[in-house]
Amino acid sequence: MNCQDRLHRGHDPLDVSRRWFLGQCGVGLGAMAFRELLAADARAGSPTASGPMAVKAPHFPPKVKRVIFLFMAGGPSHLEMFDSKPQLAKFDGTLPPAELLKGYRAAFINPDAKLLGPKFEFGRHGQSGTELSELLPHLARVVDDVTVVKGMSTDAFNHAPGQIMMSTGSMIFGRPSLGAWTCYGLGSEANDLPGFVVFSTGKKGPSGGNSNWGSGFLPTVYQGVQFRTGGDPVLYLSNPEGVDRQVQRDSLDAIHSLDAQRLEVMGDPEIATRINSYETAFQMQMSAPDVMDLSREPQHVLDMYGVEPGKGSFAGTCLLARRLLERGVRFVEIFHEAWDQHGNLTADLKNNCGETDQACAALVQDLKQRGMLEDTLVVWGGEFGRTPMVQGGSDGRDHHPNAFTMWMAGGGLKPGISHGETDDLGFSVARDKVHVHDLNATILHLLGFDHTRLNYRFQGRDFRLTDVHGRVVNEILA
Amino acid sequence: MMRERSVEEVARSRSFPRAGRLALAVLAAFLADGAGAGETSPSGKTVRFNRDVRPILSDKCFQCHGPDATQRKGKLRLDTAHDATSPAASGDPAIIPGDAENSELILRATTDDADAKMPPAKVGKPLTPEETKILETWIAEGAEYEGHWAFLPPERPETPQVSRPEWVRNPIDAFILHRLDGEGLAPSPEADRPTLIRRLSLDLIGLPPTIAEVDAFLADDRPGAYERLVDRLLDSPHYGERWGRVWLDAARYADSDGYEKDKPRFVHFYRDWVVGAFNRDLPYDRFIVEQLAGDLLPSPTQDQVVATGFLRNSMINEEGGVDPEQFRVEAMFDRMDAVGKAVLGLTIQCAQCHTHKYDPITHEDYYRMFAFLNSVDEAAVAVYTPEELHRREEILKGVAAIEEGLRKENPDWADRMRSWEESVRDPGPSWSVVRTDVDANNGSGQKHTLLEDGSLLASGYAPTLHTAQFTALQPVASVSAVRLELLNDPSLPLSGPGRSTKGLLALTEFHVEAAPADKPNERKEVAIAWATADVNPPEAELEPIFDDKSKRRRVTGPIAFAIDRKDETAWGIDAGPGRRNVPRKAVFTFDKPVSFPSGVVLTFKLTQRHGGWNSDDNQNNNFGRFRFSVAEAPDAQADPIPVAVREALAVAPEARTAVLAAAVFGHFRTTVPEWAEANERIEALWKQHPEGASQLVLRERPRETHRLERGDFLKPAEPVQPGFPAFLNPPPTSEAAPTRLTFAEWLVDRKAPTTARAAVNRVWQSYFGTGLTSTSEDLGSQCETPSHPELLDWLAVEFMDRGWSLKTLHRLIVESNAYRQASRATPELLAKDPFNRLLARGARVRADAEVVRDVMLAAGGLLDPTIGGPSVNPPAPAFLFQPPSSYGPKAWPESAGSARYRRALYTFRYRSIPYPMLQAFDAPNGDFACVRRARSNTPLQALALLNEPMALDAARSLATLVLKEGGSTEADRLVYAFRRCLARKPTAQEVEVLSTLLRKQAERFASGEADPAKLSGVAGESAAEHASWTVVARVLLNLDETITKE
Repeated sequence: MNCQDRLHRGHDPLDVSRRWFLGQCGVGLGAMAFRELLAADARAGSPTASGPMAVKAPHFPPKVKRVIFLFMAGGPSHLEMFDSKPQLAKFDGTLPPAELLKGYRAAFINPDAKLLGPKFEFGRHGQSGTELSELLPHLARVVDDVTVVKGMSTDAFNHAPGQIMMSTGSMIFGRPSLGAWTCYGLGSEANDLPGFVVFSTGKKGPSGGNSNWGSGFLPTVYQGVQFRTGGDPVLYLSNPEGVDRQVQRDSLDAIHSLDAQRLEVMGDPEIATRINSYETAFQMQMSAPDVMDLSREPQHVLDMYGVEPGKGSFAGTCLLARRLLERGVRFVEIFHEAWDQHGNLTADLKNNCGETDQACAALVQDLKQRGMLEDTLVVWGGEFGRTPMVQGGSDGRDHHPNAFTMWMAGGGLKPGISHGETDDLGFSVARDKVHVHDLNATILHLLGFDHTRLNYRFQGRDFRLTDVHGRVVNEILA
Repeated sequence: MMRERSVEEVARSRSFPRAGRLALAVLAAFLADGAGAGETSPSGKTVRFNRDVRPILSDKCFQCHGPDATQRKGKLRLDTAHDATSPAASGDPAIIPGDAENSELILRATTDDADAKMPPAKVGKPLTPEETKILETWIAEGAEYEGHWAFLPPERPETPQVSRPEWVRNPIDAFILHRLDGEGLAPSPEADRPTLIRRLSLDLIGLPPTIAEVDAFLADDRPGAYERLVDRLLDSPHYGERWGRVWLDAARYADSDGYEKDKPRFVHFYRDWVVGAFNRDLPYDRFIVEQLAGDLLPSPTQDQVVATGFLRNSMINEEGGVDPEQFRVEAMFDRMDAVGKAVLGLTIQCAQCHTHKYDPITHEDYYRMFAFLNSVDEAAVAVYTPEELHRREEILKGVAAIEEGLRKENPDWADRMRSWEESVRDPGPSWSVVRTDVDANNGSGQKHTLLEDGSLLASGYAPTLHTAQFTALQPVASVSAVRLELLNDPSLPLSGPGRSTKGLLALTEFHVEAAPADKPNERKEVAIAWATADVNPPEAELEPIFDDKSKRRRVTGPIAFAIDRKDETAWGIDAGPGRRNVPRKAVFTFDKPVSFPSGVVLTFKLTQRHGGWNSDDNQNNNFGRFRFSVAEAPDAQADPIPVAVREALAVAPEARTAVLAAAVFGHFRTTVPEWAEANERIEALWKQHPEGASQLVLRERPRETHRLERGDFLKPAEPVQPGFPAFLNPPPTSEAAPTRLTFAEWLVDRKAPTTARAAVNRVWQSYFGTGLTSTSEDLGSQCETPSHPELLDWLAVEFMDRGWSLKTLHRLIVESNAYRQASRATPELLAKDPFNRLLARGARVRADAEVVRDVMLAAGGLLDPTIGGPSVNPPAPAFLFQPPSSYGPKAWPESAGSARYRRALYTFRYRSIPYPMLQAFDAPNGDFACVRRARSNTPLQALALLNEPMALDAARSLATLVLKEGGSTEADRLVYAFRRCLARKPTAQEVEVLSTLLRKQAERFASGEADPAKLSGVAGESAAEHASWTVVARVLLNLDETITKE
């Protein structure tokens, strides 16, 4: 989406287009042009025929091949959902220890804000006995398939920088997102759908906007493509008024024919890529509405997710995510911006969990039933957690980067464990801290990458998702 | 069918640029032979440091053995001759000039001992045998170092001898042909005239030529036809639009703030300044100076101040709870990055956290340059169009004339004014400033800062409906009245005193609470008897932007509205355009004095509920900078004399400047009852004052700069003084303390090694798709070795010698034979030079996003060529601007009429919601400086061109034009439509395809199989004809060639 850099250091546009053409262009071109292109490819030293989105092998055999990231934007409260803190209840209404707050910066609350006890009851679930609050009865059913990470921490305490940090490993705008890095490293198995699909299902869009799924300095083909659950799933997918499928086909044939004639004259491989782009677009016009059509799902699946009219779009979107993965999409990210409970904590969390808990659990269950969970990664979490201290009266919490919880499910992970621990107040990580960089290193590891070697040369140096940081969290790996 | 290729393989193949790898292979082969006709340096050496050795050392060694001392291993430094030949930690020098065999560097590179091997295997960057050979040869030949080429000032190289001197129109051709000669290639023939005029038009003005323009060029058989065409295009006002857009990428121009709120901002004056600067060919050095320090030039014009908007194009974060200083520093980093990429052609970002690993820029250097830019306020000033400026002058003249008339008609005016001055000498009771806390206010998310003078400054998030509360830090003995002063501050819109887009505010209610100092929690509200203010505007309804969706009639008016306990009424301070952004004051007098034995602690509550419903938009009506004071005297009132007049009165009459004297008279006359008629005429004049617009600019304000540890604004280290990095041109010799202006002038000094090179390289990139070095943002030691290093230097020197004139540079390039070549890629050329870096053929490049859109509009006959003004909102899917697609609801007031079809340059740019069609074609969104765009080719582009509503508008319009103006036969019409899109005439084969399509569609529409009215938008008999031509037009607009410069 931004100033991109495909030209840099041998990553030439012609190169990219030629590969794309050879790998995926099924159109009948003049044999001469084809020979030329093949010859050019051989000369460029590349033995393979592959487009930028063609399937590529990672550094080592991967545990998972695809990712669904459930981005709970706004900062869900770990203290109400995952991280049971009886001591916090005990000290409700008192001031936190002064040494805890030394150097602490909060977004809104005063330094003298008092502690606020958890609002919900916790219990142990599954054979693993994982602790979850009463807000998450559905997740409780599948908790033995879930790996809970309680020692998360991040650097940012405002939404936009925090989300950009979680999405791109940097608070500075302009770096590629996790989904973009994944597609850059692995390509995509979907020929007629984007490799990286993004939804927004909350009350608002994410604070970090488009940059959450941007490609930064990577080639733009790796950026996320926004899908919608209503109307055209992709912008400009439908033919304009009065253009029926036949007009569209006839037009594309004419465009194809004229472009091919020009290719014969000019010999520019970019023209072949253009022909291929138009064909793919035409295919997408059919495949995208098809994949988005939930009426093709049996009732019991709809029921499992809780898809019903008027219950919000999150449940249906989780189901769509599964359908997209089945069609070879590499990375699906659902932004659900709803978790910024400065006030109205109790009611909002009840409502949010009511909208999302069942679908999240169903997604894990559904993937497992289909045998997909073993090579799929589901990630749930927001950009930060919330303060043990109260904000505004007795029913709100402020942004808190020092400690929060995320969960994952899928191949390569130890299921049914909780990793890491916070202190008695849920303020700091007491054991097994997992920074955002560590999470990213771990996700890349599961995808088969050494995070220090998945690099892209830009502005005179090799960039990577984890910058100069990141440690694979081996403790949670199977 | 698709073979997998590991990422490592891909990464390896990318470690060198294609051209570089080719050159390397050739060089290695040459070295292996030990003979040949390769390039040798004047000293007869076969290997040259900058060309051959530095890229290897920089990529493989400098990370641990380069300039960054903190990362250095084994006390070995390889980037300077002195260090590399001195003993390292191991005791041996890495390099013994002339003795490769015994040089530790070669021993380590060639050893089989995995522990001793360099570079270490874990770094994953092994030396290839070719690279090792080059290092060996270089050391054997004496290991001569050269400074990095781009850090040495460019010198004009000699124009080389070539095989075909007749092909050389200007030295550019000699450099290009010289390289081709060496590669055994010949240039391509000149492109045909239709191609040339379309290429020139797209390159110079970003629009396709009209058929008439093509015909005129074809018919011009006098000598100099081409040059005349170039002149016409360079003189066109559209030239500035095309090339201005390229600079706006580097200037990260956008029409919104970015981050979560991403509020609209109104900075089109800067955009128009850029366009104008290109059109009048403002020399590039002045162009840079004005953008960095226009405000510091002697008596700067409005334009020169507007130019500083360049630095202000940074994003602004006003999400709730931000620390404004954090994001001010982020914006500073962004400015440094922009200056680095756009002006210096250097990536200096790394040095924000630590000394640069590859280039000799230190952490301190970075903050010394930072210090030049840091001493500023982030200001927003009122700006006016030339017509508005003229009107403003007329008004000021008119006022002066009426006042002069009053003085003439009333010879005793001076005496009367003196006695009036006597009567108002007493400024009222004495006031003590009350300093307050700021933290209690955090609940709203807006931040307040307590300034030295006791005033409070609001910043960060701006809630639109809130109450701000401030409690005194010290008790007072007794209090009878509270004064609320509203003050200006450069950080506020138009200097404030409020935070609304006009710098205004509204006070819905004012409350005071008092508590005994020994029982601070026992606060009780104080009854206010009456209030006075120095401005009491008549009751007026709120502007639509402040709609709170309550449907109540909400008003502003006199100060009484602030104590009437009504939520709908507020005290307003708007004195109309031209006079509204001045300090104000109000006094709230208590029913009875308040005192406690332990002292009185006051709490002030400012209820500000006259903003709009949407805090994600510019709807706040909040206080900006303000100050509380108290008085003990009973019956205190607001001094009716404005602050500026009070200040003038404090100066003895004979010592007053003309401005001060005018201020005094200007207020005095309003107090003379019999001058009412003249006063009214003056008021009427002021009512005609233009509203103007606001522009984000810089305003100088001293500020101490510290080095920031790891770039963290919370970790300031030692203070640093403004200064210049040592590796570039020498600092100015002037003794005076250097300023931002000095810095700007240093950047464009004749000896600045990278500035001119970066500029000409970017221009070259725009023409040929790739720069002479492809890494336009980084000419540092990690940059790609230029394909034509001498040409780059020649162009840089020529550019400076010709007065930094961009138009001259453009003329030079486009008039070269190199530029005029046909762009056909034969199999041989593709084989030899797949990426066209040698330029044995012309460039064939897909047009930039804006040009793609403009070509569609121009070919369809829809383009509105109006230049400048506020950005426009062409049709876009409404859902994009609403949650959950957008964070907050955004305004997208769809433009009406031809404004929908303005050039894409004028499309409103929200950073968080980029305009979809432009985003699909790789337009950057302005988050950071971009000096090199991607050029992708994707299915989403196909969908946009096929299906976007504007694309259909263009196709329909083109069809209408075809039927109206395209002749009477199908053949004529096809040629007409084709030429509107492509300038050239179609081949017979192409006509065949289009004709077949046309007939098939006509049949389908005639048979009723498809609905022609729906497609064509035309009803009745001609619908089928319109519809089938619309299909043909749509096909033409979607051709690869249509959106490509060929």
